[in-house]
Amino acid sequence: MPPMKNNNETGLTYWQSLDELASTPEFQEAVQREFPGDDWDRLPPATRRQFLKVMGASLAMAGLTACRWPKEEIVPFAHRPEGRTPGVPEHFATSMELGGIALGMLVTSFDGRPIKAEGNRLHPDSLGALTAIAQADILQLYDPDRSRRLLLREGGQQYVKGWSDFEAVAAEYFAGDGTGVAVLTGGSSSPTRAMVRDQFLKAHPEAGWYEYEPISRDNEREGTRLVFGTPLRAQPKVDAAGVIACFDADPLFDHPSSLRLAREFAAARHPETGAGARLFVTESSFSLTGVRADHRVAVPSSRVPVVLARVAHLLVAEHHLELPAAAAGYAGAAGQEISEQEIDFAKLLAADLAGHRGSGVILVGPRQEPAVHAFAAVLNQVLGSTLEYTADPDPDRPSHIEAIGELAAAMASGSVKTLLILGGNPAYDAPADLQFKDHLANVPLSIHLSLYDDETSQHCTWHLPQAHGLEAWGDGAAWDGTLTMRQPLIAPLYDGRSASEVLALAAGLRVTSGYELVRENLRESASAVDFEGFWRRILHDGTVEGTAWDIVQPRLDPGRLAVAVDGLRSLLDADLPSADRPEVVLTADSRIWDGRFANNGWLQELPEALTKVTWDNALLVSPATARELRIDDGEIVEIESEGATIETPVFVLPGQARASMTLALGYGRMAAGQVGNEVGVDAYRLRTTKAPHVISGATVRGTGRSYSLATTQDHFAIDTSGFKERNRRVGELVREASLDAYLANPEVFHDHEHYPPLISLWKDHEYEGEQWGMAIDLNTCIGCNACVVACQAENNIPVVGREQVLNQREMQWIRLDRYFKTEPGLGSDEIDNAEVVFQPMTCVHCENAPCEQVCPVAATQHTTDGLNAMIYNRCVGTRYCSNNCPFKVRRFNFFNYHKDLAETSKMQFNPEVTVRARGVMEKCTFCVQRIEAVRLPARNDNRPIADGEIVPACAQTCPTQAITFGNLNDPKSLVSKSREEKRSYAMLAELNIRPRAHYLGRLSNRADDAGPDARGVPHGEAESHGKETA
Amino acid sequence: MSTPVSYLDNTGDDPAVRARLVVGDNDFHSVTEKVCGIVEQPKPPKFWWVAFAASSSLTLVLFACIGYLVTTGIGVWGLQVPVGWGYAIVNFVFWVGIGHAGTLISAILFLLRQRWRTSINRFAEAMTIFAVVCAGIFPGIHVGRIWFAYWLFPIPNQMSMWPNFRSPLLWDVFAVGTYATVSLLFWYMGMIPDLASIRDRATTKLRFYIYGVLSLGWRSSNRHWHRFEFAYLLLASLATPLVLSVHSVVSFDFAVSIMPGWHTTIFPPYFVAGAIFSGFAMVVTLIIPTRKFFGLEEIITARHLENMAKIMLATGMMVGLAYSTEFFVAWYSGNTYEAFTFLNRAFGPYAWAYWTMVTCNVLVPQIFWFRKLRNKTLVLWVASILINVGMWFERFVIVVSSLSRDYLPTSWGYYRPTAIDVLTFVGSFGLFFTLFLLFVRFLPMVGMAEVKGVMPQAHLDRPGHRGHGDYHGDIAGVEVV
Repeated sequence: MPPMKNNNETGLTYWQSLDELASTPEFQEAVQREFPGDDWDRLPPATRRQFLKVMGASLAMAGLTACRWPKEEIVPFAHRPEGRTPGVPEHFATSMELGGIALGMLVTSFDGRPIKAEGNRLHPDSLGALTAIAQADILQLYDPDRSRRLLLREGGQQYVKGWSDFEAVAAEYFAGDGTGVAVLTGGSSSPTRAMVRDQFLKAHPEAGWYEYEPISRDNEREGTRLVFGTPLRAQPKVDAAGVIACFDADPLFDHPSSLRLAREFAAARHPETGAGARLFVTESSFSLTGVRADHRVAVPSSRVPVVLARVAHLLVAEHHLELPAAAAGYAGAAGQEISEQEIDFAKLLAADLAGHRGSGVILVGPRQEPAVHAFAAVLNQVLGSTLEYTADPDPDRPSHIEAIGELAAAMASGSVKTLLILGGNPAYDAPADLQFKDHLANVPLSIHLSLYDDETSQHCTWHLPQAHGLEAWGDGAAWDGTLTMRQPLIAPLYDGRSASEVLALAAGLRVTSGYELVRENLRESASAVDFEGFWRRILHDGTVEGTAWDIVQPRLDPGRLAVAVDGLRSLLDADLPSADRPEVVLTADSRIWDGRFANNGWLQELPEALTKVTWDNALLVSPATARELRIDDGEIVEIESEGATIETPVFVLPGQARASMTLALGYGRMAAGQVGNEVGVDAYRLRTTKAPHVISGATVRGTGRSYSLATTQDHFAIDTSGFKERNRRVGELVREASLDAYLANPEVFHDHEHYPPLISLWKDHEYEGEQWGMAIDLNTCIGCNACVVACQAENNIPVVGREQVLNQREMQWIRLDRYFKTEPGLGSDEIDNAEVVFQPMTCVHCENAPCEQVCPVAATQHTTDGLNAMIYNRCVGTRYCSNNCPFKVRRFNFFNYHKDLAETSKMQFNPEVTVRARGVMEKCTFCVQRIEAVRLPARNDNRPIADGEIVPACAQTCPTQAITFGNLNDPKSLVSKSREEKRSYAMLAELNIRPRAHYLGRLSNRADDAGPDARGVPHGEAESHGKETA
Repeated sequence: MSTPVSYLDNTGDDPAVRARLVVGDNDFHSVTEKVCGIVEQPKPPKFWWVAFAASSSLTLVLFACIGYLVTTGIGVWGLQVPVGWGYAIVNFVFWVGIGHAGTLISAILFLLRQRWRTSINRFAEAMTIFAVVCAGIFPGIHVGRIWFAYWLFPIPNQMSMWPNFRSPLLWDVFAVGTYATVSLLFWYMGMIPDLASIRDRATTKLRFYIYGVLSLGWRSSNRHWHRFEFAYLLLASLATPLVLSVHSVVSFDFAVSIMPGWHTTIFPPYFVAGAIFSGFAMVVTLIIPTRKFFGLEEIITARHLENMAKIMLATGMMVGLAYSTEFFVAWYSGNTYEAFTFLNRAFGPYAWAYWTMVTCNVLVPQIFWFRKLRNKTLVLWVASILINVGMWFERFVIVVSSLSRDYLPTSWGYYRPTAIDVLTFVGSFGLFFTLFLLFVRFLPMVGMAEVKGVMPQAHLDRPGHRGHGDYHGDIAGVEVV
């Protein structure tokens, strides 16, 4: 039957592919046998069950041969292929590229609709986990605001065009040797795209090629170039590290390999195995790594090099480290003015690094200057570290900032006649001093391929709709170079094309389909004898094992070292920021990244980890600086730097470095779509090529006006009695101890439990089969928000918008409670520094549930396997259960939040989960649909459910595997074992609610702990609970 | 008796004489004339029309708010997590509380043979019914899916589902339902002889038939009176425990939960005392203008008002004692969550509500210690309104301040009502006053038969009891010594 290519109307096209089974060896063998079903002789005497199994397998294989895989066209099913059961989800390995690094995913597809992205266990950067952003990308696929057609803007008019129109003129646009042609793309690790690029540049040798990513790790790359002569890619490993020193670095969250690093970090901090890496962080604003640090000192970003230099100085002076002669010039460091806190930090760190030669690692963040990276690389080399290097895939590439600068210059000079922009949004996110948008007007013909008709498209001649990552073929490389495949889950909803396809068109290639391009490229490079088999296997796996780049052993280049050290010295001599002339640090937003996810409701409503702000960015200011500048929390301030002025609300964040303010990029979009338009403040207006990350010497003035930031949690501006009480409670709710104290006295987490015997009014439930339980390890939770998005995607949780969040009506079932810990005795107006702890909080499924007893219509009930179930269609919405919930984890549908949802957005819904009506209470179900999906087949097979077979969405995606789920009736299950651990405790146990989710206490591992009792959970006097003992 | 200010002042405390319960030159006929006259006027007075126009407009506001709520969702109110109950439940408890005075006056005071109740009991009972009507609206509309609110009733159904008998909300349904039924019966039954009087005096056919039907064939025979009084006694005995139980059960909504500030054993007596307090305050608020406008000062006398002021003083003190006991127990129990809740009430974000409550409920009634003040109608009236305000805030403090800061500091919040919240509440007053105005226009607002029973004329045959027992005052025109 003819392929249906243009399906814009319904958006419903079905993609078929191998199902997962197909790649098991037995199965492949069966496939090759062609008539497997006939081989009855070889079967043992069949029982009825075996017979059904064999029949089932035969049918499945019949389906595989019948559908004539592989087929490129995406064909709607007129007849259901045999072996394919509607309603049974399929999983496909694919990937997502962000900032030029591919992250492997496993996407669940329901009847042809991709509905949920999880991590690909085989992918080195994922290991089964997935970031919040990558999970939320699936919502972008169905975004009704995505552009649906080609647009031609000419002479003030706008015309709707088709691809054939563009194809007709493309040859004319890209004729000749490419003089006057420029291509601007985002960063990419795709070998296919590299091949197409080479072909394009071969066809058009004079064409300019520019790659720009607003957020990149170019400084790190340039730093290695400084000391090694060639750019290298740092591959940190922290599982074996005894000391991890982060200088403005956030390896647990802000790193392409952050999921792997977080997993390694969790392993390195496991107290039961005795491992105890110590984490030192110096940074200007709280990162998730900083939250988890044992030692943290908050200094302005521009002062971070000073601390690093002091550490180096101490290593040399006190720990007999020998630096290369060329590096000695850093010594000016010793003369720097330095605070007591910084000195203490540097001393402890230097001692620890000296004690862990070969097993320590110094990591520097992407916002630090190349010279700092270079110097840290020297220290790592000399000390010996767990850091390894691989070659950079594209060593000749100029840095992104340089590239966009060159392009802007070329555009300004009028030498660019034809500009092809593949993805990205430079009119919005290029450094402000380049005035990219204005220069765009100089270019006679500009073509922008983009998911949205965005800021850049609106200033270009052509807008081409881009295919979403889940709609297009492609490939990419992990951070370590592992080849990662990308396959479409669905035909392009809006007739989009991928960047490689458009580039191939511009190159005049014969083949322009993404599928053929990827295969062609792979065929050239892969040495596999059986290409089709190889192709099928890598599509199934999503990655190709063993394709990681080789580890290189770099040599320090003494000649260059001097240059690096000079650079460092000039940084050390720079003026210190002060409250009058503070530095403003521009960062990628932890949710909407550089702004490209601005129209994603899940991400906009995701509470920022530290501030818990949704739907906005805010200038983070330290309490002391705010007091000095007389700025209030929530006040709108004016930031002025180099002639640019923006107004932004302030969030006063304890633990922020004084005189250093942080503002996230990516907000203030004007053409993002209905969701993202005019949300927050555009910080790109302050960004320049000279200071893309840290703006020094800005002026910040209060305006006296205030703005309500929609936080999901109250922040610390609170009345005195509430402030004191909160401080008193935190230690009880989030239990912490030092590693030494715990090892000396494992009961340290329970010592302070005082309550009378707990007697229940009701008869206990009895459990014969399974009873589910959960354990959440506070020691490994890093607060990355991945579980929140996973839950939102899995459970059809609505996005409610800023107004509703302001009204405390957010709907997320799992939240990450954030508590600040301050020194005892400080009033709320004296706070400056603070420690932070996170606590994932979702329904704990109390055995003796207060909610169940008060519901007048019995809409919340205990199940026979111990779940506290919510029966939506029985609920009348009295909200009594929520009132009586001590954890306030229940969520109420105050309105019909799904009323105005676009048809496409509804396609994302998980069909296994009810979409809740207005007026109904809802809450975490422990992913009951996942439990049933395992239980039913297990029951059919008459076998017990294996431990780990059922994984709720939150636990599945947790990079540190902090969440364990399983059967409490099985003493061998992981969750039962974790219940046995001494760190295990139940929150609010004194209420006799008997939660099924327990927490494992958090441990710290400070170097200066005097002994076992130094940082134990205080015992006795209530006043001392929850306070840090300094 | 010291120098009487006017003949209307019967507040004196001379132990030798019983004060008169009806003053002025009244006999049975004049009482009938006065009370029935209001109903029989061809047109209600102007002030009635003004009041009715205002209150029925507010009733429309109520219905408009409810319509908006039903079509849009509970989100039109200011509720959120953690504060899942707000104005609706506050108003419910407030109105149920108001509804306490009527049955207390008619049943408990009846059993205690407090004869002064007769002038005001009809009025107070009517108020009770209307308050319970207003109260009944709120639990009905506060649920998320109003169209399924009937699931709260134990109706046999195709789902074979009973409601959850462990839930205090269900107990509420029974308690309030029983109370409303018994109160209505009690009120209506007590009214039958008076309805018959109006029927007998009817000058129009329509009135004759309507009141004829309503009076259920009452012929004032001896047997009728015998049955009537017996039934009245029985209903009074039935209603008496209900006065205590209904607000006790309402308090269980809170006391049975595990929220600090709610989970307290003091709640049942505390709620009942508060309910009587607020009920009397509302009776006073209503009766002062009514007796003035309808010229009933001789029947609803200053002494009645004074008695009610004394009850308010007593119950106000009980409520005050409860407030302090809560604080004491919060400290004495050693439960830190409880302790914080009370500290937070007094000094947290809702301190303004707490101190409004304390001022109105504890401080304001203290003026009733002074006879001069409690006998000043205007002072009494203003004080009663303040007590109503205070009692509304008491419920607000209990419901909202406890919920807003419970166990986990991360879920703490601050509840702000929306305009719809406020308009719904104001609208419920509209409904209340509308019903009340219809009552004073169409039904006898004073129990004539009972008032006549406490007039001296009723006891002419028992001269030996002069000054004792049932005998109140003297026959009109005969001066008291």
